[in-house]
Amino acid sequence: MTKTPLIETRNLSKSYFNDDVETPVLFDINLTINKGEFVAIMGPSGSGKSTLMHILGFLDLHTAGRYLFQGDEAGSMTDDELAKIRATRVSFVFQAFNLLPRTTVFQNVLLPLLYHPTIPVGERDGRALGAIKIVGLSDRRDYLSSQLSGGQKQRVAIARALVTQPDVIFADEPTGNLDSQSGIAVMHSLQQLHREGHTIILVTHERTTAQHAERIIHIKDGRIDSDSKDFTRIVAKDVSSLK
Amino acid sequence: MRLHDTFITALTGVRTHASRSLLTMLGIVIGVAAVVLMSCVGESMKGVILGQISSLGPKSMVIFPGQQEGGPSSIATGHDSLTFEDLDLLKKLPTITHLAPVIFLPGTVSYGREEGSPQVFGVMEEFFSNQNIVPSEGRLIDNDDIDGARPVALIAPDVRTKFFGSGDPVGRRIRIGGNHFTVIGVTKALGSQFFQNADDRVYVPFSVAKNISGQKYLNYITMEAVFSFDLAFDDVKNLLRLRHGISPSSSADSSGQATWDETKDDFVVRSSAQANEILSAVSLGLTAFITTVAAISLLVGGIGIMNIMLVSVTERTAEIGLRKAVGAHYRDILLQFLIEAVLLTFIGGVVGLFIGIALAFGAAQIVQGILSTYIFAVSLPAVLAALLMAALTGLAFGLQPARRAAKLSPIEALRYE
Repeated sequence: MTKTPLIETRNLSKSYFNDDVETPVLFDINLTINKGEFVAIMGPSGSGKSTLMHILGFLDLHTAGRYLFQGDEAGSMTDDELAKIRATRVSFVFQAFNLLPRTTVFQNVLLPLLYHPTIPVGERDGRALGAIKIVGLSDRRDYLSSQLSGGQKQRVAIARALVTQPDVIFADEPTGNLDSQSGIAVMHSLQQLHREGHTIILVTHERTTAQHAERIIHIKDGRIDSDSKDFTRIVAKDVSSLK
Repeated sequence: MRLHDTFITALTGVRTHASRSLLTMLGIVIGVAAVVLMSCVGESMKGVILGQISSLGPKSMVIFPGQQEGGPSSIATGHDSLTFEDLDLLKKLPTITHLAPVIFLPGTVSYGREEGSPQVFGVMEEFFSNQNIVPSEGRLIDNDDIDGARPVALIAPDVRTKFFGSGDPVGRRIRIGGNHFTVIGVTKALGSQFFQNADDRVYVPFSVAKNISGQKYLNYITMEAVFSFDLAFDDVKNLLRLRHGISPSSSADSSGQATWDETKDDFVVRSSAQANEILSAVSLGLTAFITTVAAISLLVGGIGIMNIMLVSVTERTAEIGLRKAVGAHYRDILLQFLIEAVLLTFIGGVVGLFIGIALAFGAAQIVQGILSTYIFAVSLPAVLAALLMAALTGLAFGLQPARRAAKLSPIEALRYE
């Protein structure tokens, strides 16, 4: 019996429609990602890599082909089922951090737990504090998000992404808005999560960022150009103590 | 998401945008404050007016001589149209009882060097029960005083204060015109009746007033209806019309009954029931007016709420996108924004309520100096209605922005800059 892959797409395609004008973005994407992988989806801007991530993360819907998540057909899910899957199975780290303004670190990390259907209310605070500890911001838990540096904001976003213990964490250009030192700290956190068994899908246009993953899928003009594990891996140093 | 969490989220939303929330509430605050103020003033005024007529029993009636206001001036009907003969015939009507005619005695009233001009009433014993007048000192005028035409006087509290201060007035002699009267008692305070001071009066026996003045007509007659006021009303009118030779309008109506033109009457019949009717009509009008003001102000406030909520939804598109990305359902977002809107209007309503009550209280302190019977009162139904309307306004005007927020696609919301 073969293991069901975490993510499997078959001839997945996506087109945008504007006033009946079809703009195809993705063509016949076939890929399989297993639990525990750290995959980088790489490509120049406009290649469709972000669209692919949004589809895989249930933020957007594909228009043709199939998308199976742990064997479940995403195309046939209702809005409520999609919301539930976003609450429990996947999470995101965005380039622009997307923290709630005028809200503390702790409240930001707590947010996904409010929408989680099964985690008991009594466990919320402990989980949030645990996630904040993992990214090394325990001493900043009561800071407002506006009082943090970019690197710290992104680490809050990572804590928020892992607080629900999702099956997969999507990171969309997580270092795009950061200086190099902060970028290294963020990549270190992601690699550490991967070592602990998390599945991570990273979207980036930078080769060096992609090299932190263990597998790189190149997207070009909406198609998979290459899918390789044969490259020099970069291991991010732990620089969080410097910040 | 649990409702409790949604509520906390909405409350946090209101709090983190405190200054905007306050500005948004302002419309509702002013609207509700105005409504509460007006309904309190209306309630107080109702109390004042009710006080004017509640001293009269529900079956109390009065006949005044003279034309009804607005009647044709060609008909010569004066203040002398009610005669003693009218009174004797009216006494035979079975539908009315306790007839008490009144004659006013002109002249200055004095005690020692003190002079005053209270109204002097020549009354029958029944007058006191009709008007709910009771003594606070001494006694009332009785039938013996009237039959014996005794020169006695019953004085009202203001007269007592003016002439006797804190001294005992009973047994003292006052002068009315050129005649001496012995004070036999003081009435309890009545306040004002139909906005005339009922405490600046002197009562003397009817027979005495009639003898001194030589008057051949009555100033008015008080009485009580036996059964219903309507029956008594028609009986009295028809009798007096016959007596005074007032003819019905030329044409009879379809039921064959004679129709009367009330403006031709040389007398007016009034009752406390009628006054009550007029009062209810006035207060109904007032209520309608307040309701209109409330509706308009809450509409304006509601549009303000909707406007700000729409701005808020646009401004917080990224937040909505994020909430959806971490698993918020349609109804979570819908409820969050709906509760925010209702919170804004409800808090605004409560603040407006207290401001309105405070203003009404302040107004009452000022008005009381002029109108002593004006008592601060709060209309509870109006207050509850204002609060309910405020919350409903939030619900009605918050729905559209909330739906817009909830319908946002997560990816488009996240992309929004």
